[in-house]
Amino acid sequence: MEFFTESIVIGLTQYAPLILSAIGLALIYRLTGLINVAYSETITLGAYIGMWINTTFGFGFYATLLPTGIASGLLSVATYLAIFRPAKQRNAGVLEMIIISFGLSIFLRHGLQFVFGYPVRFYEVPRPRVIRVFDVGVTTFRLLALVSVVVIALLIYWIVQRSRLGLQIRALASDEDLAQVSGIRPLFVTVLIWFIAGAAGGLAGAFWGVGSNVAPLLGWRQFLFIFLVVMVGGAKNIGGVIVIGAITGVALAAMTLHFGQVLYAQLALIVAFVVFMKLRSSRSVGAGKV
Amino acid sequence: MNLDWLDAFLLQGIFQVVMVLGLALLLHLQMGLARIANFGVVGFWGLGAYAFAVLFVKVDWSIGEPWPFLISMAFGAAVAGVAGLLVGWLIADLETEGVLVGTLGFATSVWILAVTEQELTGGALGMGGLRFPFDIGKTKANELLWFGILFAVVALIFYYVFRVHRSPYGRLVIAVGDNEPLAGSLGKPAFRTKLWLFAVGSAGMGLLGAIHGVMAHLLIPESIGINVTLAAMVGLVLGGMARVWGAVIGVILAVGIFDVVVQSYLPLPRSWYTQAIPVLREMIFGATLIAVLIIKPQGILGDMRRDKLTRRMHGG
Amino acid sequence: MDEGRSTATLTRPQILVKEATKSFSGRVVVDVEELLLGKRSIEGLIGPNGAGKTTLMRMIMHSTPLDGGEIEFIQTGQNENSVVVLSDLPTHRMAGLGVVKSNQVIMDFNKLTIWDSLLLACSETKYEQPHRIFSERSVYRRHKDEVRAWLDFFPFADPTGFAQSAGEKKLLDIVRCLLLKPRFLLLDEPAAGLSNELTAKVMEAIKFLSDGGTTVVVVEHDLSLVWNICERVHFMAEGQVLLQGEPDEIRKHSTVIEKYLGKGHVAG
Repeated sequence: MEFFTESIVIGLTQYAPLILSAIGLALIYRLTGLINVAYSETITLGAYIGMWINTTFGFGFYATLLPTGIASGLLSVATYLAIFRPAKQRNAGVLEMIIISFGLSIFLRHGLQFVFGYPVRFYEVPRPRVIRVFDVGVTTFRLLALVSVVVIALLIYWIVQRSRLGLQIRALASDEDLAQVSGIRPLFVTVLIWFIAGAAGGLAGAFWGVGSNVAPLLGWRQFLFIFLVVMVGGAKNIGGVIVIGAITGVALAAMTLHFGQVLYAQLALIVAFVVFMKLRSSRSVGAGKV
Repeated sequence: MNLDWLDAFLLQGIFQVVMVLGLALLLHLQMGLARIANFGVVGFWGLGAYAFAVLFVKVDWSIGEPWPFLISMAFGAAVAGVAGLLVGWLIADLETEGVLVGTLGFATSVWILAVTEQELTGGALGMGGLRFPFDIGKTKANELLWFGILFAVVALIFYYVFRVHRSPYGRLVIAVGDNEPLAGSLGKPAFRTKLWLFAVGSAGMGLLGAIHGVMAHLLIPESIGINVTLAAMVGLVLGGMARVWGAVIGVILAVGIFDVVVQSYLPLPRSWYTQAIPVLREMIFGATLIAVLIIKPQGILGDMRRDKLTRRMHGG
Repeated sequence: MDEGRSTATLTRPQILVKEATKSFSGRVVVDVEELLLGKRSIEGLIGPNGAGKTTLMRMIMHSTPLDGGEIEFIQTGQNENSVVVLSDLPTHRMAGLGVVKSNQVIMDFNKLTIWDSLLLACSETKYEQPHRIFSERSVYRRHKDEVRAWLDFFPFADPTGFAQSAGEKKLLDIVRCLLLKPRFLLLDEPAAGLSNELTAKVMEAIKFLSDGGTTVVVVEHDLSLVWNICERVHFMAEGQVLLQGEPDEIRKHSTVIEKYLGKGHVAG
């Protein structure tokens, strides 16, 4: 029983940023069909920006969150306007787009080191208080991360599934030409989505960064798992991503407790998810073209 | 034989160029022709290196050289090939995103195992005990000979890829990559074709990994990171994904500039080489991928010229 | 049945569609209770746009999975029939059985030349293996005559190059099918995009194949063509087969046909 509660509490609080970033990646994937490998750098740069604001201006961690979110959102929009939109306009195929995003990821991950330096950086914050939840010790940062994830997830869920804007987003995702004819402005909606996704990623990065350190590989180290959650959670609706993300977090926590080693947990997760994807694809044969 | 003229760094650099060229040629078959987005190149390369090392170092061989060495080399390639069969089976009917996550997941898994299975692999500290199967004199002489062997292997890979383009098999692979449903309607088994292509390519990557391991004398998990995959991919994309010579031109330009020219010939401050140059290298590789695919996606050499090839093979 | 009487008549394969249904997004696109294709050597399948003809063809090739029902391939042998359930097989097994379909929309290999495409169609699996890197000459020698024969019959601007127009791509698609030596050939709007002369040549090729024992089913909008060449016609609308019979019989139901296809088609 203790194992159970410990797994759930640790899983949800430690991996809250995973859920948050999965939501962001899923938003872009759902709208554009693109797996943006450079999203991992949105996360990393969010951590760096937050750390920079914190160390340069002396803001407390919570005060850095709003500017971090905004800056990350703008950065994400910038990558869309500067790289992905031009690529799409030149009719780049799916494979080419993925490689482009991979190139961008590499470029940002190394380029940032010329801005922020090579060594690992840290948020300058006092040690967080530890609160006991169901008799499991959790830092206030992680609790805030979980609360933020819930709030943002609900917000995004409401926007995408219930609001008029969400209707436009879903229309745009399924048929761009038709959407445009119906009076939806694709550029505006697309930019908005990239902004929201970027903000989500940047905040996830901040939560990760304040809890440990801020390093160039921060986002990339998580990317595979964020990606797996998005692929398995389904690009159909954000709810699936949230559920799978939560389950993944709890499963990782449980396995880490059991094996005593997070790497084995990650390995098990990779294998499980890839096999799941294979089984799911074997069952569904699409509508043929010949 | 006096090899004082041969700078050790220069040899390392050229070795690296040829190594990446071998990987790029195999990736050309998988990604350039069959359009399989293999982002896990380093996984097969590293698995081949570690499999070779484990068998060679950890087993108490009772037979004399060079058999333990040769058997271990073959083992490295075989293990990578079997892994390629398994991974290929998982990804061959997935969409591009699925292939990306499957191959990336595989490469990550290999890295994880290299770190966690310390008894086998030496973990983060590394695995030593790898040496050349011969000793003809000073280190440089041995390394030069081993480079010769690498060169011969990569030349063979080049010849194989060259012949594939001019064979019915190559036509099949191109057709499957170009329009898989249409190939299926002609009775071609697309899944099986991609599966075996992937496995054969992976075995080749594993062999190259084992060859690398011998040269490096020490295997560490840090060396099986994404930058190996990146280097092969940049070379291939820069030169032209769909062209055999694309891999050659692209890798010589991309990797050659950094690992040979910048490393050995540019008079830059020594302190730059520890951090700035490697970081700059990756940054420019990333930028190159973006620039080429947006500006001229077919790379420097452009698209396949099968009309010229058809005329040459079967007359006007 | 006639037992033991050795026939000089050619055996002709048939396809039987049994209770086959398919829906897309809740809309029923195909609902065929029973359809036997191949009673006559050249048959036509006609109907308005959206009738489900192409979807039905794709279900036969099993590139589109069936929601329900079964499709059988019946080959008449000397003493017995062999039945293969097509809807249990993957698409790439069809060609091996001799079931071949051309495409209504343009489907081509952009990277392969015309000669490439045709050699690809002819080439046997045993030559297309990773270790057979010197087999091009054998494949070429085995098949160059039949490829050349079709290249002489159909005009391609430059067979060593790529198919240049939509018409050439359409034609190439058809010739690929012919080179597969089909026993049952499905042609999905073969005349669309082709000039009258080319269409006539395609018809000639169809007749040539059917004389050799191949069953041909043609989906067509150009009804004059259908009345001309088909010995039996099936009329489909809204996913169902409404009429079947010889061309003259079908044309008698002018009101039905005109209801779906508009006036002026029946007189032909």
